[in-house]
Amino acid sequence: MSLNEPLVIEREVKPLDFLAAGETASEFKDTLRSLGISAELCRRTSIVTYEAEMNIVIHGGGGSIAMKMEEDKITIVASDEGPGIEDVELAMQEGYSTAPDFIRELGFGAGMGLPNIKKYSDELEIDTKPGKGTTLKAVIYLDSGEA
Amino acid sequence: MAHGIRINENACRGCVNCIKVCPTEAMRVIHGKVRILEDRCIGCGECIRSCRHRALSLQENDWDKVSSVRPITLASDPALCTQFPWSPNPAILDQVLRGLGFEPIFEECSMAYDLAALAISRAIENGSAADLPMISTYCPAVVRLVQIKFQELLSHLAPVESPLETCIDLWRARHNKHDVPASLVVACPARVAMVENPVGRDVSSADFVISTARITREILSRSHGIQESAERKAKDSRWLNWAMLGGETRHILQFAERPVRTLAVSGMKNVISLLQDIELHRMKGVDFVELRACDLGCIGGISNAESRFLSRLKIENYGYSPELSEEERETLESLYEAKIWKLQEEIRSIEQVPLGRDMAKAMEKLEELHSVYAELPHLDCGTCGRPSCRIMAEDIVRGESSVDDCIFRLREKIAALSEEINGLSRRLVHTMTPEERI
Repeated sequence: MSLNEPLVIEREVKPLDFLAAGETASEFKDTLRSLGISAELCRRTSIVTYEAEMNIVIHGGGGSIAMKMEEDKITIVASDEGPGIEDVELAMQEGYSTAPDFIRELGFGAGMGLPNIKKYSDELEIDTKPGKGTTLKAVIYLDSGEA
Repeated sequence: MAHGIRINENACRGCVNCIKVCPTEAMRVIHGKVRILEDRCIGCGECIRSCRHRALSLQENDWDKVSSVRPITLASDPALCTQFPWSPNPAILDQVLRGLGFEPIFEECSMAYDLAALAISRAIENGSAADLPMISTYCPAVVRLVQIKFQELLSHLAPVESPLETCIDLWRARHNKHDVPASLVVACPARVAMVENPVGRDVSSADFVISTARITREILSRSHGIQESAERKAKDSRWLNWAMLGGETRHILQFAERPVRTLAVSGMKNVISLLQDIELHRMKGVDFVELRACDLGCIGGISNAESRFLSRLKIENYGYSPELSEEERETLESLYEAKIWKLQEEIRSIEQVPLGRDMAKAMEKLEELHSVYAELPHLDCGTCGRPSCRIMAEDIVRGESSVDDCIFRLREKIAALSEEINGLSRRLVHTMTPEERI
């Protein structure tokens, strides 16, 4: 089996659009399922997508999220032109959050976003510069099974 | 696979109301008649609610056949108790039914519900934390939904059998009536499907299914009112409460030995939204979720005659008796030990057919699907017999439909064709001079 080009689906993420959050995750999951990909991998992709989407909604001020499907892996790329992450290592710690109070009151911003993305993906790359935005790339391998 | 819905093709007008309300996109209209895709239908009954031509109904057993053997042994969804102009006390309905030649097995129903509540509360305590929140298996439409759309949540399903199955097993064992047929009274297509195609066991304990509507009519037309002396068995209120959203949770909490955090949610949209939240790990700290496809629980079932709001009022006013006697507790413990509440088989996923036979082929098809979809009008009008343009694109790629089935694409094609015909008709024939041209 061989594929010439990876298939990419890209969705725009609008700032503060909590209502739509989860829709992309759900769409990506359904797409993967129609390809015959296992429930566990669908769920991992769905969580990574959701958390990345929430990060863009909360911190990024809007951006885009894309899913790239290749024969051996799924890559989620989330990018925004927001404030960037000051200290990536600190942001990776569970419970650390810079989300504003009004967002925490909505029940979001518990500081689990990045740790969750790391937990459910096989590779994680974060390219960020303060003031210039963030691009996050998470890879899930099709033969990796349980996280 | 059974779905519990009967289609009356003569009554079906081919309107698209039902296919638009189906939460799992399981319906199509083909050649003017509705069709149900069995491997996608969860039996929630939303389509029956939406049909104005009465073309859809419960696939219950033929009443003449069921009633030919007397007495008719009846196990029932407790929602039946709320359908009459008297108290929802199951003891009263029991008496009325006996007067009409039925043999209700409400005592076993009551025991089976106690047992299910106890078993679930112990399963929550003993289960793995990764599989919390535990999802109730009482609503068969929810179970089917998890099997079809939320397969990664299968391990969250409570490993406890529906008390509506257990009660008949229990009655057969207690009275040694292994060869006597038993009927189950149900309020929705999902429970019909549960008897036809049981989940978690090989064969259902029930032999026949009858709708609450059918039994209610039978009782209201033949019964001459009730005797006020009907004995009030307060203990029956626990299983009665399962008919109403929150009743199962309340019953489980009664047996819990530590604080248990629960949520009770009803209505298809709410159920789907909650399952999505569980899938995304957003329900941490919640131990149990009671999910019901019908608004307000089984009293909202499609086949009930009484208003679900009045049913709720009746149950609330009837009162609740949490206490079990010492003797009841002992019986319950021995039934628990006997494990008759346990699902005999693991609940498995119902796989959808992928777009292609391998990943490469499937991705090719997916790409095709995206380009087909881009050309559709995105109005989700349903005229093609599909619930949405997205599903239409999928059906086209799977070879089950054609672009010409889209009325908008067909119009464009006709316009293009007629333009071509027009152009051709103006073409100069060599035997004509340009002046002779029309």
